[in-house]
Amino acid sequence: MRQLTEDETKVFFEKLAKYEALMKQAISVGRDQLISLGVCFGKFTKSKKFKLHITALDYLAQYAKYKVWIKPNGENTFLYGNNVLKAHLGRITDDTPEHQGVVIYSMSDIPLGFGVTARSTVETRKLQPTDIVAFHQADIGEYLREQDTLF
Amino acid sequence: MDDSTQKSKYKPVTVEKPIPLQYDLAILAGFDTNALDESRLKNDADTYLEEYTRDGTQLIINQIFKLPVTSSDLGVMAELPDLVTVLPREKPLPKPKPLTRWEKFAKIKGVQHRKKSKMIHDEATGEWVPRWGYKGTNDDGANDWLIPVPDNADPFEDQFTKKREVKKERITKNEARHRRNVEEAEIALNQSKGVNDVNTRSLRRTELQKQIIISKTATASMGKFDKHLEGEPKLKGVKRKFEPIIGDVKKEKESSLNILNKVVGKKGDIVNVRKAIAKRDQK
Repeated sequence: MRQLTEDETKVFFEKLAKYEALMKQAISVGRDQLISLGVCFGKFTKSKKFKLHITALDYLAQYAKYKVWIKPNGENTFLYGNNVLKAHLGRITDDTPEHQGVVIYSMSDIPLGFGVTARSTVETRKLQPTDIVAFHQADIGEYLREQDTLF
Repeated sequence: MDDSTQKSKYKPVTVEKPIPLQYDLAILAGFDTNALDESRLKNDADTYLEEYTRDGTQLIINQIFKLPVTSSDLGVMAELPDLVTVLPREKPLPKPKPLTRWEKFAKIKGVQHRKKSKMIHDEATGEWVPRWGYKGTNDDGANDWLIPVPDNADPFEDQFTKKREVKKERITKNEARHRRNVEEAEIALNQSKGVNDVNTRSLRRTELQKQIIISKTATASMGKFDKHLEGEPKLKGVKRKFEPIIGDVKKEKESSLNILNKVVGKKGDIVNVRKAIAKRDQK
């Protein structure tokens, strides 16, 4: 990696500007006709709660403080929308408190989704293999399962 | 001889006090403003207080014997005077009621209120009847057996019904005036309390409209399938206003960061105690 030269920077920004122009054009489309503009982070429920969508994962994963890694044999069940069990827990960030939002990764550091811890890191050590470590909130399987309502 | 033994047996009925006592015989009380003898109170408190009390009681009884008496089956009774002691009023004085429109007008014009007797003499029947109200005389001839039709009136019009209706109208009009007086009094009361100058009537109106709106949505379908009344205005909710999607980027960034600081800026525990202990134990 190195600093871009002036010419390269110019080309880069011109490319980006095309997308900004696209955004400007997109806002002239009616709200009912327009499915999505930009990245959908989540939706407000009727009772004014905010629900994060899996589409926000890319941004959450970049800045996540607390992480949970799951073993390859647990990836599938998590991607089907199940909670993370102790048996599938590969690693967990040290000192994760209880009920803390966490991003869930595969062992090869691919973000799979996010959830909320059921126990703190210390307590997870005493758990049975079938006990829940983290509650499921969203996983990348939703891109297939909930195509209609995701955006 | 007899007199001298009496004197030795009983104390004298006359008591000498430098300042005469004040009495309120209605509650059988006397108030002694003389100073107490301090040296006797210290050295010989019991006998002194006993004597002091006896003297006071003697004085009250002397006063009671001066009162006018009446004799009855029960014996001779003294008539107690009225209460002298002024007791403070328990509740504050009632505030003057706000004037009605007529009272204000009468005050300006100097109209005097002359008290009229309630009963008046009805010459037709020769009886005393109330001036107004139940069985009163102000029925405006509605009870007459005959009413002459005025010259320029419609001959087929019922004069009795007309009179009754006119009276009914007067009553409703008076009731409206009464209501107005009550409302105005309420406003005046609010103003005296320092409440903002709120027109009670308009306030009640908006309140009522709010309640109507709420009651309309109080069905299983939130009022969606209800029959609409004719001429009923369409309900308008609060219209939300949004910033344009592409606007001032700088401003948007600033406001977003402000909100973020409010949400995240709260300072939590700076030191992770558990981690610190673990680290210390490692060393």
